[in-house]
Amino acid sequence: MTELLLEITAAMAGTIAFSVLFDVPRRFYPYCGIIGGTGWAVYRAASLFSGAAAASLAATMVVIFLSRLTAVWKHCPATVFLISGIFPLVPGAGVYWTAYYIVTDQLRMALETGYDAVKNAAAIVLGIVFVFEIPQQFFIFLVGEHRKKEKP
Amino acid sequence: MESLDQDNKKVMETALLAGHILLENGAEIFRVEETIRRICLHYGVQSENAFVLSNGIFITGGSEQEKFFAKVQHIPVSGTHLNKVAAVNQLSREIEAGYYTIEEASMALESIKAMPGKRRRTQILASGVGSGAFCLLFGGNAGDSLSAFLAGVALYWFVLFMGAPHLSKIVTNIGGGALVTLLCGLMHFAGLGSHLNFMIIGSIMPLIPGVAFTNAIHDVADGDYISGSVRMLDALLVFFCIAIGVGMGISCLSRITGGKLLP
Repeated sequence: MTELLLEITAAMAGTIAFSVLFDVPRRFYPYCGIIGGTGWAVYRAASLFSGAAAASLAATMVVIFLSRLTAVWKHCPATVFLISGIFPLVPGAGVYWTAYYIVTDQLRMALETGYDAVKNAAAIVLGIVFVFEIPQQFFIFLVGEHRKKEKP
Repeated sequence: MESLDQDNKKVMETALLAGHILLENGAEIFRVEETIRRICLHYGVQSENAFVLSNGIFITGGSEQEKFFAKVQHIPVSGTHLNKVAAVNQLSREIEAGYYTIEEASMALESIKAMPGKRRRTQILASGVGSGAFCLLFGGNAGDSLSAFLAGVALYWFVLFMGAPHLSKIVTNIGGGALVTLLCGLMHFAGLGSHLNFMIIGSIMPLIPGVAFTNAIHDVADGDYISGSVRMLDALLVFFCIAIGVGMGISCLSRITGGKLLP
């Protein structure tokens, strides 16, 4: 449990560090951190029941959903939150392992990890696409502001 | 009539400037087109037509009532500054609410464009913290995380002072990947950090093209296939370059140590 909490904290810290790198307005750092941490928590929770790709899909959907919600709430583009929030889920480790196995001549493992990385990336793509199909009105309704229609 | 024509031109140039700032700093194509259209409509230009690609904006206007205007602007991809995207977005809301005359809007956009980015020192530190945190996240311990922090700092120093001014994207990413791998190998050799893999995974994270990847998906989902595929190509290229750099680093390390370092 403590390990999981530590991981979530690390995910939040990492997400915030990347939002600094991408010049997110300072007042949004905490939201970016919370979204990134939640994404990782969902990923770990979903990993208990399913494979990595399905867990990535679930976590991505949660991250995008929260980003859009926060975007409507704080009147700013969803991009501001989701780019750094999605970072813990991007298959950076997959890139490393694929390179590692290729260099060490373990072709079978290289193919396997490369395939997994692509699968995870596809899951992230689907997650983003699915949640972006939800009409903006729904988020406006959730936030409780029935204002003019605006794209996040 | 003369002043009306002038207004028309001014409106379209202001809209183009807004689009320029958005596109340059990491906004999606859809948002750029939408913002340009909204600004034009608000100031009474009905005939605007904008075609936005990932590195350029084509804008024309003109009809029987309105004077003709056309401009093409090449916009090379530079860094991501989401605060500028957020600021232009906010401004376009306020323009629609009627708080700005066209001159004021134009001036406000100029000042957004001139907004300073983060200082290099801050960026380097952020890269280090990000590397350390992600190393921890992917299974490293405190020692691994510390060395990932150092490697992340060195990496961004390399990106900002060598890569951005002097080297192409390809060489920067290959070099960055190799640099990080070698540094982590050295630190591992010196006893700082015990899991070389997690150290390297954490410290390559600042290179990972998250913005290009996310925007590419977003653009394709919006139906902007050309820009989406260009951005996806960009993201894939960077992924491959990092992998090549890391691979080169690993094979150097294994030569130096006679294969002992590889777990």
